Amino acid sequence: MQLFDRAGKGWPDVVFSSQNTDAAWASQKSGGKQAFAAVLDKGLVPQKTLDGFATGALNPCTVDGQVYCLRNDLAQAVLWYNKSLMDQFGYSIPTTWEEYEALGQKVATEHPGYIIGTAGDAWTPEVFMWASKCEANNITGPKAVTVKTDTPECKRAASLLDTLRKNDTVPVVSVFTPEFVKKYTGKVLMMPGPAWYAGAIFNNPQSLNVPAGQLGVAAPLPWKGDDKAVTGNVGGGTWFVSSHSKNLKAAEKFVQYVTTADAYQVDVAPGYPAYAAAAKKWVAKQDASKYYATSLQPIVTAASQIWDGWGYGIFSQEAIWAKTITPGVTSGKSIVDLLPTWQTAIENQAKVDGYTVK
Amino acid sequence: MTLAPASDELTAGATSRRRSARPEGRPPGRVPIGYVFVSLYTLLALAFGIIPALYAVVLAFTTTDGGFAGFDNFVKVVTDFRFLPAVLHVTLYLVIWLVMLVIFVVILALIVHAVKARWAGTTLRFVYYLPGALAGASSVLLWLFVLDPTASPVSGLLHLMGLNSFVQVIQPGNLPVIFAIIAFWTGAGGWIVIMYGALNNVSTEVIEAARIDGANAAQIAMRIQLPMLRKWIAYMGVMSLAAGTQLFVEPQLLSQASNAVVPNDYSLNQLAYQYAFQQNDFNGAAAISLILLVVALLLSWVFVTRGGLFEKE
Amino acid sequence: MTALSTQPRRDGRLRSWSGRSVAGLILVLFVLFFVIPIIWLLFAVTKSSRALIVSNPFSIGSWTDFMANWNQLFGFQDGAVTLWIGNSALYTLGALAITLVVSIPAGYALALTEFRLRKALLVLTLVVMLIPSTALVLPVFLELNTVGLIGTPLSVILPMSFFPFGVYLTYIYFSTSIPRDLLAAARIDGCSEIEVFTRVALPLAAPIVALVAFFSFVQNWNNFFLPFVMLPSSDGYPIQVGLTSLLSSTPAFNPSSAGSDSVQLPTLALATIVSILPVLVVFLFSQRYLVAGMTAGGTKE
Repeated sequence: MQLFDRAGKGWPDVVFSSQNTDAAWASQKSGGKQAFAAVLDKGLVPQKTLDGFATGALNPCTVDGQVYCLRNDLAQAVLWYNKSLMDQFGYSIPTTWEEYEALGQKVATEHPGYIIGTAGDAWTPEVFMWASKCEANNITGPKAVTVKTDTPECKRAASLLDTLRKNDTVPVVSVFTPEFVKKYTGKVLMMPGPAWYAGAIFNNPQSLNVPAGQLGVAAPLPWKGDDKAVTGNVGGGTWFVSSHSKNLKAAEKFVQYVTTADAYQVDVAPGYPAYAAAAKKWVAKQDASKYYATSLQPIVTAASQIWDGWGYGIFSQEAIWAKTITPGVTSGKSIVDLLPTWQTAIENQAKVDGYTVK
Repeated sequence: MTLAPASDELTAGATSRRRSARPEGRPPGRVPIGYVFVSLYTLLALAFGIIPALYAVVLAFTTTDGGFAGFDNFVKVVTDFRFLPAVLHVTLYLVIWLVMLVIFVVILALIVHAVKARWAGTTLRFVYYLPGALAGASSVLLWLFVLDPTASPVSGLLHLMGLNSFVQVIQPGNLPVIFAIIAFWTGAGGWIVIMYGALNNVSTEVIEAARIDGANAAQIAMRIQLPMLRKWIAYMGVMSLAAGTQLFVEPQLLSQASNAVVPNDYSLNQLAYQYAFQQNDFNGAAAISLILLVVALLLSWVFVTRGGLFEKE
Repeated sequence: MTALSTQPRRDGRLRSWSGRSVAGLILVLFVLFFVIPIIWLLFAVTKSSRALIVSNPFSIGSWTDFMANWNQLFGFQDGAVTLWIGNSALYTLGALAITLVVSIPAGYALALTEFRLRKALLVLTLVVMLIPSTALVLPVFLELNTVGLIGTPLSVILPMSFFPFGVYLTYIYFSTSIPRDLLAAARIDGCSEIEVFTRVALPLAAPIVALVAFFSFVQNWNNFFLPFVMLPSSDGYPIQVGLTSLLSSTPAFNPSSAGSDSVQLPTLALATIVSILPVLVVFLFSQRYLVAGMTAGGTKE
């Protein structure tokens, strides 16, 4: 986009982005030039439509109170589990993170080789740390962020990951590597992860290939003492309209159609729609497919439980975690010990991207 | 080999041209023909080499709005928390790679050259070159698998080295070696082909004479072939140095393959790219590039002077 | 090259048997080093993604899997891959033609003629080769934008034709392989400088022309960054840039693309092979010239 800005022409009318970091820069002037993304909530998109999105769905699109993009799909983290295996081993679904950790200890002793999660992906912090209300990414303004990783909230999630990594029930492996598929097919007892894991990993013949009737989903877990559970979000696409577009109305109509129309969102789209009405129908359709062992209601609940204390900045938290924590953990350090390093890494990256860090 | 016929042809042609013979030497005032020959090239060089380079220099010394910035951009990039690690990475990589490249390419070229059967030589050169055809994006997939001990064709080797998972293989300490291996894998073949051709250029009489005198293969290599290859080795050194300081493709594709466990600002060139396209700071990117250029120039000066690259034989 | 016979000097040669086996061992080791990943790649295109992960790296998959991968690749975005390959061919051959016309005379002049700026041009070329392309991208983009070429094939062909590496190769070749006496003789015989070039140097330059053509072809075919910047529309993509489109539809490298339409890993492997085939074909074809000919310069007096 910078090149188009300098050339003064050539911007596409509509852009689909799968990175939640894009609104942060697209909404801002760059180098003195007009911001790329058109503001959508000042009349371009009807307010009724905007209100039809799930609570918090437009958060990645909102900068300084203005909405710059429409959300295509949500990626709320839920608790996936294999109901058949759980029944077979006689385990009950945990209701808190503490119970989850205890379950991990049990699995390690009674059924070694089985896992209840993975912690080797770039979005691991978004599943575990975000859900624990760790204040690692509190975006407070277009160019301001607060980073505090030495809080009890961060430490509790870190310590959970450390314990479960040590007993091999939450290994440091990424779900898209050959290693994961080879070692853990048939051995995944549980997996906290985003909604799109269903199609990407479980119901995918090229990955775990879990047979029908086994996969269940439970609501995100709270920590003991927290009044309600929150969860994290891993991605979810967004649609931008160019502020330079000569066909603003047409572009907007397209974007509105693609995010709300049943013909796309319910019938074709693989992900959980961000638009609430479409989401309801999508869930019904999934239920009717008889693949899942439980109702999909927890996914719907989770959609509105995404914690808003973790923001969407221009820099990628995933990349920071991947290059700081994952190698550190592989070389034997614990995440709890690495928390200060993580903090420094986030601060450094934020600063070079022009953020003031508090 | 084709020398004799050419000069016959030449004299024959020349005799018939004697009538329109030009005066000997160059009359004063006439433009040396060299200029004509290089004119098109100079044009391209200006358009796509020199002017952009000058623009980059200007960028490095100005701010985003165009005001003069003195050394601010340089200070900014040098104090960036990623700068020094990137310098370290590139240096380590360069040392490992250059040594690997120069030594093995020369050895392999010499051996391949000594192979008598023509089909064997051709096949060998083809096989060695094969990986060179694989450019960046094509090989992301390849390295994702080759470096994962659970699925790699060389998993035995990886397990032997105590590496049992992908993240273990791409540990920061292993990266310079991995990148050097990848770069060697893709780059060596081309240079082997060039060196082989250069070896063909060494007169066979001299080699035969040495053999009659009792020299064995190693001595012939050291005393006759290597000195003849001096200019070519120097060129390989310079080019590899240039390419090495600009390390970008290998860490970038491993960064993609590993989903950012290998960072996308591992090398200085990647850092420049981040400045340009993630931080929208072309001035910083230009500053980093200039620093890279100066370093590469200083280092390559060694090769140029010691290899006699610019001498006319 | 005269065949080396082993009979006459057996005593001097006995030592070299072990030398030969060392040499042979080195050759074989390196063959394995270079070839094993390629063999893996070839087998990979016959498997499904799951088979690729769990089965033996050197096992062959099935024909149905191969066809599935083929269809997925060439069906991607309605046949975009075929279009991209065509684009690559256009850009690469166009740049190749211009490069040859420009670089061979330039290298010749730098090596074998005298003019004041000779050394300066050499140094300048070297310097420009050392500048990271990231720094040059923006200025070149702005230049081409000023003349309105952005998005056209020329915006890629012209910068690609600037090939200092080729000029250097030509320079080194001419300065080491063509005896100056030959040229002097031609001049004495009354050839004009242009005739010296076309009648003496050029015929002897077949190998270096092939070499420069080859390297230019490969470098331009594999060039990613330049077309990526200059061509905003994916219709104009060469295959290398198109491959990144494929990559971003592969869940392993772009998790958010996970879904029923996503590109599978073996399809990527097939894409890889398809994208390098032209290079390999060109290599095989030009092998004869590449190496046999560099001798043609003959002996130095």
